Amino acid sequence: MKKTQTKAFSNLVVSLLLAALEIFAWVQTGNIKTAKNAAVQPSTFPRIMIVGMAVFTAILLIQSVHKLLRMKDDDPLAQKAESMNFIKDKGVLAALFVIALCALYVWGFRSLGYVFVSMILSGIVMWLIGVRKPVQLVLIAVLVPLGMWLVFYKLLQVNIPMGVLQFLRDLVDKF
Amino acid sequence: MDWSLLFSSYGDVFGSLQVILMTFIGAAGGVLLGAIPGMTATMGVALLIPFSFGMDLIPSVGLLLGIYCGGMYGGSISAILIHAPGTPAAAATLLDGYPMAKKGEAGKALSVAMFSSFCGGVIGALIMTFLSPMVAKVAMKFTSAEMLMLAVFGLSVIISISGKSIAKGLISAFFGMLLCTVGVDPTYSRQRFTFGVKSLKGGLSFIPVLIGLFAIAEVIAGVERIIAGRESAQEKSTEKITRVLPDGKTIRKITPNILSGGIIGTFIGAIPGAGGDIAVFVSYAFNKGISKHPEKWGTGIPNGVAATESANNGCSGGAMIPLLSLGVPGDSVTAILLGAFIMKGITPGPMMYVSELPTVYKVFAALMLANLCMLIVGCLGVRIFAKIVSLEKKVLYPIILIISLLGAFSINKNVFDVGVCVVFGVIGWLMNKYEFPLSPILLALILGPMCEQNFVRFMDLNNGNFGAIVHYPIAIGFFVVAVAVVIISLLNQRKINKTEKANASMGME
Repeated sequence: MKKTQTKAFSNLVVSLLLAALEIFAWVQTGNIKTAKNAAVQPSTFPRIMIVGMAVFTAILLIQSVHKLLRMKDDDPLAQKAESMNFIKDKGVLAALFVIALCALYVWGFRSLGYVFVSMILSGIVMWLIGVRKPVQLVLIAVLVPLGMWLVFYKLLQVNIPMGVLQFLRDLVDKF
Repeated sequence: MDWSLLFSSYGDVFGSLQVILMTFIGAAGGVLLGAIPGMTATMGVALLIPFSFGMDLIPSVGLLLGIYCGGMYGGSISAILIHAPGTPAAAATLLDGYPMAKKGEAGKALSVAMFSSFCGGVIGALIMTFLSPMVAKVAMKFTSAEMLMLAVFGLSVIISISGKSIAKGLISAFFGMLLCTVGVDPTYSRQRFTFGVKSLKGGLSFIPVLIGLFAIAEVIAGVERIIAGRESAQEKSTEKITRVLPDGKTIRKITPNILSGGIIGTFIGAIPGAGGDIAVFVSYAFNKGISKHPEKWGTGIPNGVAATESANNGCSGGAMIPLLSLGVPGDSVTAILLGAFIMKGITPGPMMYVSELPTVYKVFAALMLANLCMLIVGCLGVRIFAKIVSLEKKVLYPIILIISLLGAFSINKNVFDVGVCVVFGVIGWLMNKYEFPLSPILLALILGPMCEQNFVRFMDLNNGNFGAIVHYPIAIGFFVVAVAVVIISLLNQRKINKTEKANASMGME
């Protein structure tokens, strides 16, 4: 196996990404306004956390480099790392697809309403992971969001956006 | 103590059908509310308080305490079954509860959680009955120094929940603490990491982050595993629940954890500002630290569930102590209860023990009754709750997804929180993929704000001199115990790594 496919290499890449995140966060702390006569500035605590994170990121980086240089085959870090290659790995592609669906769900939550977007999301995810019986798929995708909305709206009095299915709320309110 | 008055008060409460009925309704509602991610016991109490307006004091207190105790247990149901704690106080229950469910022991985990919750609640109620003035006095001695060190003690468990890589665990913890600083700084009202986004001014809401990191991440990973063929979509739990309470052997095993969890929970609950979410991690840290087999914690053992569930229900009794004896609410639920008392013309405080002693004793009895009702509701519900994991994964994952996203919305009725939940779902999925433990983030998110606020307050009070901490003996005590826990955790981790290495080389041979 190539060294670039090992867990040690993935740790190296992750620690470099973390270092970039820490530099970004540190720069951002410079934008925090100071407070007069304060023993501890509002930026102090975040900076302590960034330093803490940076110290252990450096340790992870050193460990990964060390392992990459002198790694035996039986080393746990010599095992194959999880892939992020969505072209070769269908699982990763499906996971990214679900994430994209969730992003669309958030976008449509207010305008289309909880029940409608939940029907679509749960229906697509169910179909994706193998529900092929149309009755089962439709029943679950329709009844669960509708039931949850009724529980939250009528029992817990939480007002949830209904968007395109606003008429359902009017119907329920009438009864 | 006036024993005859105490017994007659218990008799009045346990003999009143109205009080029993109201407490039972409260407990049932609390369990159901707590089990829904995003709905907390505080929300349940706030929601049902208008219904108590027309009642006498004790039935209304029974109703509210029923919700409180039921909500504490209810939070563990979703933590165990779907990896999404229903309430922040159940956050640590998923450390061992969910692995138990994954091993096909969901019913056992639920019954252990229910039994431990009941015992923890009873311990809290007993301590409240007999020691409340004493506990209140000690709790009131807690200044920012003690609170800071209590948070440090809670954080000391990070190493032991870090898994294989301590460096990764600590990176997660510091990342979690950094996330706590997003929003307007609570002391000086300066914006931090808000990037001009209005919704970030209030900081990241804990529940959406929690739901994202655990439930959404689990669904994304589950879909990935099913499509990649590493998990069957038809997979479901086939566990048969033969009993609703844990067996004698399990009870014997978890008794020390329940006792210590209940006592820790009661005491932490009595400290104003510290609630069940903090108590569970302190109890988990303590119990893991004294365990003979710390390597088994986090892999799905009943002891882990018992330590946390007894602590969060112990808190319910603890939080009542400063409320009744000093008029200071221990947490948000008791703050609402304080309002209920005032509405009925009773002002909690030291004088209540003189002028309203029968009422005080009736409140003690109502808490005991609330725990009993919670146990009955739990027993009736274990088989029904456990049915959730008997659904096939291909049906269960989409349901978890839409319920979790709704839970994220319901906490602040804010769509932004749904987005936060999805973002943290992705972060959780990536962290799991690259073996960064999620539990340290959880711990940091709970203890971070307490740590920062008390650190800043302490430094301000002592003109920036941290060395002044030596003048606070209780704080030093917490610090010494925290250092001991860190050392023990490091030694245990070394032992675990050695054993794993030896097992691996034996396997190779």
